[in-house]
Amino acid sequence: MKICVLIKQVPDKDSSLNIADDHLTLVENNITWVSNESDNYALEEALLLKEKHGGEVIACTLGKDSAKQVLKDALAKGADRGIFISDSSFENLDILSLGKVISSTLEKENFDLIMTGLQSDDQGNSQLGLILAELLNMSHGTLVMGTEIMGDSTIKVKKELEGGWFQWTKLSLPASISIQSGINSPRYATLKGIMMVKKKPVDEVTAGDVSFDALEPKVSINKIYVPDKTKETQFIEGSPEEISEKLVEIFKNDIKVLN
Amino acid sequence: MKILVYIQQDQGKINTVSLEALKGAQEIAAQTGGTISALSFNSDVTSQLAGYDLAEVLLAEDDKLNTFNPLFYLKALEDIAKAESPDIIVFGHSYEARDWAPRLSARLDIPLISDCIGFKKEDKLTFIRSIYQGKLNSDSVVNNGAFIVSFQSGAFRADGLQSGSAEIRNVTVDLSAVNDSISPEEKFQEAEQAVDLTQADVIVSVGRGIGKEENIAMVRELSKTLGGEIAASRPVVDAGWLESSRQVGSSGQTVSPKLYLALGISGAIQHVVGMKGSKNIVVINKDANAPLFEIADYGVVGDIFEIVPKLISGIQDSQ
Amino acid sequence: MTEETRQVLDVDVLFVGAGSASLAGALHLKRITSKAGLDISIAIIEKAREVGAHSLSGAIIDPRTLNELIPDHLEKGVPFEAEVAEEHMYYLSSKSKFRFPYLPKSMSHHGCYVASLGQFTRWLGKICEQEGIDIFCGFSGSELLYENEKVIGVRTGDRGIDKHGKPKSNFDLGVDIHAKATILGEGTRGSLTKTLINKFNLMQGKNPQVWAIGVKELWQMPKGSIKPGYVAHTMGFPLGHDIFGGAFIYGMKNDILDLGLVMGLDYKDPSIDSHHELQLLKTHPWIRSLLKNGKMIAYGAKSLPEGGYFSLPKLTVDGAMLIGDSAGFMNGQRLKGIHLAMKSGMEAAETILNALQKNDFSDSTLSDFQNRIDKSWIKTELYKVRNFHQAFDYGLIPALVNTGLGLLTGGRAWGLLNHLPSKNGHEHLTKLDSGSHSGGNGGNSKYDQLEFDGNYLFDKVTNVYHSATAHDEDQIPHLHVKDTDICIKRCTEEFGNPCKYFCPADVYEMTGEDNNRRLQINFSNCVHCKTCDIMDPYQIIEWVPPEGGDGPAWVNL
Repeated sequence: MKICVLIKQVPDKDSSLNIADDHLTLVENNITWVSNESDNYALEEALLLKEKHGGEVIACTLGKDSAKQVLKDALAKGADRGIFISDSSFENLDILSLGKVISSTLEKENFDLIMTGLQSDDQGNSQLGLILAELLNMSHGTLVMGTEIMGDSTIKVKKELEGGWFQWTKLSLPASISIQSGINSPRYATLKGIMMVKKKPVDEVTAGDVSFDALEPKVSINKIYVPDKTKETQFIEGSPEEISEKLVEIFKNDIKVLN
Repeated sequence: MKILVYIQQDQGKINTVSLEALKGAQEIAAQTGGTISALSFNSDVTSQLAGYDLAEVLLAEDDKLNTFNPLFYLKALEDIAKAESPDIIVFGHSYEARDWAPRLSARLDIPLISDCIGFKKEDKLTFIRSIYQGKLNSDSVVNNGAFIVSFQSGAFRADGLQSGSAEIRNVTVDLSAVNDSISPEEKFQEAEQAVDLTQADVIVSVGRGIGKEENIAMVRELSKTLGGEIAASRPVVDAGWLESSRQVGSSGQTVSPKLYLALGISGAIQHVVGMKGSKNIVVINKDANAPLFEIADYGVVGDIFEIVPKLISGIQDSQ
Repeated sequence: MTEETRQVLDVDVLFVGAGSASLAGALHLKRITSKAGLDISIAIIEKAREVGAHSLSGAIIDPRTLNELIPDHLEKGVPFEAEVAEEHMYYLSSKSKFRFPYLPKSMSHHGCYVASLGQFTRWLGKICEQEGIDIFCGFSGSELLYENEKVIGVRTGDRGIDKHGKPKSNFDLGVDIHAKATILGEGTRGSLTKTLINKFNLMQGKNPQVWAIGVKELWQMPKGSIKPGYVAHTMGFPLGHDIFGGAFIYGMKNDILDLGLVMGLDYKDPSIDSHHELQLLKTHPWIRSLLKNGKMIAYGAKSLPEGGYFSLPKLTVDGAMLIGDSAGFMNGQRLKGIHLAMKSGMEAAETILNALQKNDFSDSTLSDFQNRIDKSWIKTELYKVRNFHQAFDYGLIPALVNTGLGLLTGGRAWGLLNHLPSKNGHEHLTKLDSGSHSGGNGGNSKYDQLEFDGNYLFDKVTNVYHSATAHDEDQIPHLHVKDTDICIKRCTEEFGNPCKYFCPADVYEMTGEDNNRRLQINFSNCVHCKTCDIMDPYQIIEWVPPEGGDGPAWVNL
């Protein structure tokens, strides 16, 4: 099985986010960069499939220079090689355009499976997996909570539906699946794994290698900002006793959930 | 400006998020002078839709569209988009929409701005998205051409939909060439006791701030004292401290109780989307910067371990 | 998991801890061995998820070692904040400040650089990796491996064990790393270092080590308001005359103000709380004015070895060496240890080269390290301040007199004595019933005035939130308290459970009432400062590394 896992480098959830003067980017000096959470689960799922069915796992990322770390971490955990897509001209592209860049890179590889995390913890578009499925003519599934290979040409995925419902879906390979967090327990990179990283190849892809014509972003972000509060929050202060007294009153008289 | 709104349904019942998105479309139309068509693959639904203030209702009927299968739905909408040339296609950002709208974007080669929490009309139509898990917002505009937008649950209120009367028009689609590379099986629920949080008037919900499993007991007590249900954000469920059926959020239940009391929940977007519609939100968290305070009606910056025990006895005393 | 399935990795030289000592040591070792025609494998294990994540200091770095190790460090983009542009020394009363009229040259920071140790070690780590040194992050050193009393390597900690001690599905058994020489650069109060010192009695004939704790906050100030390279140190308020220490205020780039307090862990009153002292500091009108319109963006704490020259242990045993803060190479008077840590690493490297060439890693060869230290400027520098900290046992004024006389006499205590003894820090703690202080079980009354408004003054839990520390909750707590009965039955009465106060991260809590009282350990708050291991009056707390990768994720502390 030839599996590609797309991993994005995002700020750690606990990083304090300060907006730069351009109102478009973040100040980076206080940010800890990590691999996107659901992508870690996708990588683990890919490694489990490889262990069970053989094949290779290729980790792929699109980002700035620091994003190479994401590939190193994946290689340390057992991915076989990496693809690093990076170019300043990709920095402001919308997700559809990025999908085109990535699909043109992955096309020649003829992957059986492309796996992505459900959504990135920064922009959270939640689209890439499906865009790649369309551009590369693959079947797809999203919100995947379980995978099962059936024979040579099919994968069954357990999808999460609304309200606590689930559904198994048969997908013909090649397939692009978006993995939900919590599906497995991501492994640690072992010492041996880290030492092997040096020996594993990482292909670097820039704008010149991409077959789409000069891509203009279809969507532009005008600014990013701290959300305005639309609601007037009434803050209750005091000692725990005073607070709980006031809350009981609110529950009783304002919200009317107590008799 | 032609706006086409896709209305999701399940066995004739309209999905609320789609209705909310329809309201969003009405607001866009009001501000841009556009017309709205609502599209459904189910005739019971189209009859209901005919009672809203829309230019028209489109009905595409085909056996293969009776239950959700992304490739068939895609082809149907592709045919309809080619025929109708909408400027904007609108979805409610539901689980189902996540499973085909982005592919539609690639199919039609028009961008999708997904999971929007609102819009405003500045120079252009500007769509607001919540990014970095609710910590920041972004304003996006489409540079030119048609596009797709999906609205987050709760971005608009369905009860504000303008009523009217609309003609229903049948549209044909050709699904003959669609393959079955995606074949969904039957839906099912997990074997565990399914708690229906959507019916609860009071929900006491607990997040990472609860620290450890043993501390949940006090939350259970509080919820019992209030006559409500206990719920949790994803990390608590992932840790196995509460059953997944108690999870509120984008991958759990969406609730709108009279009282949503959030204890030690910071307010990541995945959780917020599941409880934003609650009538009264009370947030207790020791971090004054917890995003959840943004949507709180009442907020307490404090230690839940000090307050909850007092609250329990305070409620007991009052009854 | 049987022992047979445990992996073994063989390297020539293993460094434990990717701090400035090990990084400098490994880099220098790689270079001198290559030059000598030896191709050796050097590995560094680091418990943090990435190099620099557990590094915390002021810091003002003396570039002396960097000039030796990487002369073109400026061209290589060393991430210093700024060269020290102006320096001030103040004595603070609760409301005013008095400038020190005279600053001796030896205490000046002229020619040094304001820096973030975390950024510095990250930079140094990258250079090490580029030159072929393997740095394994996320691996803690859990025990030393011996063969007949000779250190043969380190066993890394198991990962993926749940809070009941059972392996989780991603369980990863620790690896035995075998090395000809194991160099412990674990930083302050190293856990493996502690076991080595105890096993081989390496402190025999030495002054006990004494530590201080440094707690700091980073403040984002309005644009253009902070001068990078601004340096100020203070004494007096809030610590007073009986507690060693003082504050530091450094200007960093991007309008970040670096504010911290160093406090000796040899105070008498068990209700003293370093975090609260830092908050008290911020009530001073001058400090408050510095923070106007600013926002606190980060918090952290770390202990530092203050004992000086006479508290250095015997530095070597068969197969192992101690460098950096683990040994105690810090100049307490100058408040600088990074250049000394790095130099100690370099001298260790020279020692190892010799050992490699002789193929002899016994103590008789490795102990040459001590000779090298004594012949280098490490001794020259540390010897001059060898009695600095001990004099503070007598109070601030006598200590300042001692410092002055020391400057004149090359370090003689009171201008006369060669060697002032010291006492273990925790032994200074006086019991509650001694009537000698205002502390009690309810905490020290000097903190009553603190109003934690969440803007300038923060309670401990809020600061902990900003310490970017996280631990997998599902693991056995890494703070081992040997007998919690002592906590409940003896300590409460005798010392008032000072762990609640001396821990800057709110790890220790006494919960419950009457017969249900117990010690609660919120280990996931731990910032790895080691204060508890140092200061607990009964010495029953043992800090061991948590699961590799856990702990703070500091970026520029």
